Order: sequence, then C-alpha cells, then structure tokens
Amino acid sequence: MSEPSPAFPRERSGTRWQTEVEVTHGIGLHARPSVAFTRLAKSFPCAIEVAVDGSPDWLNGKSIVKIMGARIRRGTRLRIRAEGFRAEEAIVALGELVRRNFDEERKNARPDGRSDGRPDGRPA
Amino acid sequence: MPAPMAAPMVARMAGPRELTGKAASPGRALGPAFRAPAPAALPAPAGEDARAALAAALARAVEELRGLAAGADPQSAAVLDFQIEMLLDPEMVEPALRRLAAGDGAALAWAGAMDAHIRTLAADAVPAATNPAGEDAFAARAADLADLKQRVLDGLAGRSRADFPEAAIYVGEDMPPSVFLAHDWSKGGGIALAAGSTVSHVAMLARARGVPMVIGLGTLAVEEGEWLRVDGEAGLVLRGQIAGDEGAIRPDPPAADAPNASPPAGSGPLLSLSPAGRGSKGSVPPDAPSPGPSADRPAGPSIPFRLEANINSLADLDAVDPASIDGIGLVRTEFLFLSAAEALSEERHVESYRRILARVPGRPVRLRLLDLGGDKALPGLVEGGPGSLLGERGIRFLLAHPDLARLQARAILRVAAEGEVGVLLPMVTLPQEVAAVARLFEEEAVALARLGVPVRCPPLGIMVEVPATALTLDLFADAAFFSVGTNDLMQYLSAAARDNPAVAPLNAGSETALFRLLAQISAAARSLGKPVAICGDLAGDPEAVARLVALGFGDFSVAPSRLSALRALACPPVPVEG
Repeated sequence: MSEPSPAFPRERSGTRWQTEVEVTHGIGLHARPSVAFTRLAKSFPCAIEVAVDGSPDWLNGKSIVKIMGARIRRGTRLRIRAEGFRAEEAIVALGELVRRNFDEERKNARPDGRSDGRPDGRPA
Repeated sequence: MPAPMAAPMVARMAGPRELTGKAASPGRALGPAFRAPAPAALPAPAGEDARAALAAALARAVEELRGLAAGADPQSAAVLDFQIEMLLDPEMVEPALRRLAAGDGAALAWAGAMDAHIRTLAADAVPAATNPAGEDAFAARAADLADLKQRVLDGLAGRSRADFPEAAIYVGEDMPPSVFLAHDWSKGGGIALAAGSTVSHVAMLARARGVPMVIGLGTLAVEEGEWLRVDGEAGLVLRGQIAGDEGAIRPDPPAADAPNASPPAGSGPLLSLSPAGRGSKGSVPPDAPSPGPSADRPAGPSIPFRLEANINSLADLDAVDPASIDGIGLVRTEFLFLSAAEALSEERHVESYRRILARVPGRPVRLRLLDLGGDKALPGLVEGGPGSLLGERGIRFLLAHPDLARLQARAILRVAAEGEVGVLLPMVTLPQEVAAVARLFEEEAVALARLGVPVRCPPLGIMVEVPATALTLDLFADAAFFSVGTNDLMQYLSAAARDNPAVAPLNAGSETALFRLLAQISAAARSLGKPVAICGDLAGDPEAVARLVALGFGDFSVAPSRLSALRALACPPVPVEG
C-alpha cells in the first residue's frame, strides 16, 4: 500500500496534471505531514492545488494554512492538480509523499513495526 | 538606590541652578538625569511604518524559531518547523495586512488576524465523545497559532519598549503612561517635564504611586547623568547643588516622603493637588499598614459614605489596605498592560483580574473596559493623540475593534464567575453603545459556555464623562450603575483639554458648571434607582467630597494615596449594598 509506484496514476488535460490519492496516515494531514506536503509543493515552480473528497473548492497546495484548514483526515480522497513547469513531476512527487505516509515511518520507526493510528511525535 | 556616581562637577553646570515649574506630584527625589529620546525617535507604527514593523517582527520571529529548531530534538523541531511554515505562508499574513490597510495598528492587526485563524481551526473541533484520544489534533494546533501570535506581538513590543535606569530622574517633554508603568519605581526616582499637565494620566499615575513630579519646566538643558533634585512640593528642579550639600539632599524612598507632602503652591482649587486635608498631619503612607479606619479621624461629625480604591496597576494593590476599603471602584484596565502584546493576551487579562479580586475578597471590583485613545496610547494598538480625545476613544474604539473588546469580555466573563465583578464602559455617549456591548458579552458568554468554561455575565455600568450622557442619564436605564469620571467630564464640559497648560485655568475654572451638572446626575440616578459613584480626582479632595455628599453622592473611589485623607472624613465602612 505504501510502496511508491513507478507508474503513478495520473491524468493530463492540456498543461494541467491531476491525480487522486487516499490519505492513509494515522491522523491525516496535521502539523508535520502538512509541513512535509507544503514544503515539497513549494519546491516546484508550477501552481499546485488540492481538493478534498470531491469538493469543488481547490485550495492552494503551497499554503499550510489552507491545508490545515481543510482538516484532511485519514480516509480522505485527496485530489492534487498542478499546472505549469514540472507539473507532472510535482503531482507524482506529492502523490507519492501521501502514499508513503509522509515518510513518517522512517522518522518515527517503532520497534514493533506498528505505524497505525497513533498521533506521531506530538508533544503532550 | 541610585548607582554611585563620581562627584558632579559644579563647574560644568551651565544655566540656572534652579528650574521653576509646577508641582504635579508631591515628594522629593534625587538622582541622575535620564533624558528621554525625542518623540521622533520612537515612531508610532502606522500605515507603511506599521507594515514595515510587522514585516520586521515576522522576520525576527522566523529567525528565532529557526535558531530554536536548529538545536532541538526531532519532535520539537517538527513543531517549530510547523510554526515557521505558518509564518512564511502568505495566507497567514494576508488578513493582517488587510487590517493594516483598514487602519489598525500593527499589533492589533496581527492579533486580530491570528485570532480569526485560531477560531477557524477550533471552530469545528471533533467533539470529545467521537474522539477517543480526547483531543483533536487539528484543534490542538490552535495553541501553536496562539504561540505565534504572542511571539510576533513580543517582537513588535520589543521595538517600542524603552525603559530607563532605576532611581533616575526622567527628563523629557512629556511622559507616555506606558513608559511610566513599565518602569520600576520602587528604587526611587522622579519626573521632570518640559511640558506636561497636573491632570494628565501620567501625573495621576505618579501621584498614585508617590513618584515626585514637576511639570512645565520649559526648555530643559540638563545633561544626561547630571544629578537633579526634583522637588514635587515647591515645583522646582535643582541642579548643581549636590557637592558639599549631602546633608540636605539625600535620595529618599518616595513612599516615605510623598504622603507627608504639604500642598504645592499654585494648585487648582479642586483638581487633586489639594492638601491631604484634616488627616494630613498623621496621614499614612500608601504602602504602610493602616492604623485602622478611625485612627486619624478628626473630631466632630463624620460623613457617611462608601470608600473604594482606584487601581491603575497591580503594584497599586500593595498600596491599599484592603481592610479599610469597601471595594475597588475603578480598575483602569488600559494601564494594567504595558504593551500591545499583553493587552492582547486573554490569559494576561484573567491573571491580572484574579489578582485584584483576591486582594478584596467578598467585595465588589469594577473593571473598566480598556479606555484607549486620547493621551492613552498603546503602541501598535492605539496611537492616540489629542485628535482622538474627541474621536475614537474608550467604548468607541472598542466597538470599532470588536476583536479586542471580545477578548476582554471573555476574560471578564471568566473572572466574573469567581467573584463580584462589575464592568464600567468608558466614554459612553448613547444608550445604543451599552446595548452593543451587552450583546457582545452575551455572545461571548454563549460561546464560552458551549466550550464548558464557567462564566457569569457581569452587570454593565457606564462612566458618566461625556456631557451628553450626563444630561440624558434618564435614557440609560439599561445601565446597572453609574460612575462619574470628573476629570474627563470637566475637560469636555469646559472644552479645555486637561493636558494643555495653556487652557488649564479654564478647565479648573469650570467648577461651577461641573457641580451644577453633578447635581443633575445625582438626581437622575436617584430617580432611576441606580447606584452612582464618583471616581475622578475630585473624589480625592476632602472639601469637594463634603460638597458632593451634600448633593447626594455617597460612593467615592480614589487613588490609593488619597485613601487616608478620605478615610479621615468617613464613617467606618458601611456594609456593601446588595
């Protein structure tokens, strides 16, 4: 499930690329995943937007305020679209980041290999 | 004690050795001069300046956070990274910039925008019942935003905070109340002003705190560090008289000196610089234990009235003997907070109010909503200035900036659940203003109650300080009580600013008009069946109090330093009315 796919599913329409991915991270896009997402998005020159669960509202994917405001939880279908230079590369990278659970297993590796359900690394 | 300095060189002294001004706060102080920077050196952030101030504070905050993150463990670094990412997001800053464009000061714009972000995050928090972890990860992020809000506000405040050495003599054109309040006066020191006014807020603060102050000194050609003696009784500042005169001039702790002050020459008949009255001989220093209500009562019939204290700072609480007062009649909340950052911290409000309540358990405390504007500025929040004396000050400012009003309302609602709190609305002109504030309190009460926070809606009373209000008191039946602010009422009645020395005689001379209006206020309050108190400087003048009692007033709230003089007039405190 978290295996990066070389043939990541994506669609093209004109200069715009789009993909859809399910958020499987334990708690959704809270602070750390949002930081990872927006920092990666900002590393691309193209415009990047996201929409949640079929919502018609597209949000700026480079804005952590917008991403946090969308309250993206586990199980959410997240659509990501990009337009402009390196758009295809951007949606593949972002889609894979979500599928890799924002690389949190590596940062928060647990001895028992469990990586579900728990808010990670949030100080009490 | 002032830091020991080399013996002053008398030969260096130029200009007159004795500078004549006007006494504004009694007592004597000796210390090295601190020359206040010219006002131009402290630009008030507004317009483009405010944008630049906010941008600089944001950049500094990001830098600080990066520094913290660099040395932090991975988990802490993740939190700090999140905060950095938030601050770098134009979406975060854009609403603050819109508020700046609409005329808000930098701090208010930032705090208002951040509060809106926080509300958005917290608004649809998952109810605890459907959230086994008991905490909503998204709503919890609101705490990060509150943290960021404060960090940037601190950055903004750091720029405008300018304290000076302890025990120094502050020398300047005038003195902002916030500078007075930010300073530690416990080591002594005094104030010498080229301009200034005996009835300004800073003079009122100085008298209440027992800090010697002389105003109206004209051009002050004193040097930085030069030793000065401020004689707040004769209205003089002495230079170059230190060497060989040690016996005569010694730095005195202000509290020991001030209350025994004799009446300064040239003070107006009413406005607060009057003698300490019959009690003056044996009056009690503000911070000394009280000898009890009857210790220095004069022979002869005493006058029955309630006696309460005005509080400008938490330090004033120590100057009050709680056993000798019937309550706190006026807390000037705008003076409790030294910076916009503090004024915009709900917890800071709650903490301050709790301390005041704890000082007088079981007795009423009247918190006046922030009366900002006029000569009461809070850099980054309200720039003030003479123009706003007839403009957006007091309740007008709060209703125009409801974020600030709501924050204070929430703090008061929370504290009102713990003690007998009343609220005073400053600068009320029309009954609609009272209704608007009442609505605001109700809305915040509902919102807090929904979150399970215990609240109580306190009674809302009004300050009677605008002549239009004083003349139409019968229209204010919805107010729970009245409190007459005689200083402002006098200045608006006489159309003579209280901090303009050129028209001070007109202000003081309008006493007849003031007393006619007071008679009308007393009658109107009686026919409405509402309590009415006097909380201006007039209430601290024993002669005036006798006249006020004759008009039917029976509730006076005065500065801590005036309590002993008033107590000398009063019967033992009567029981607090229900």
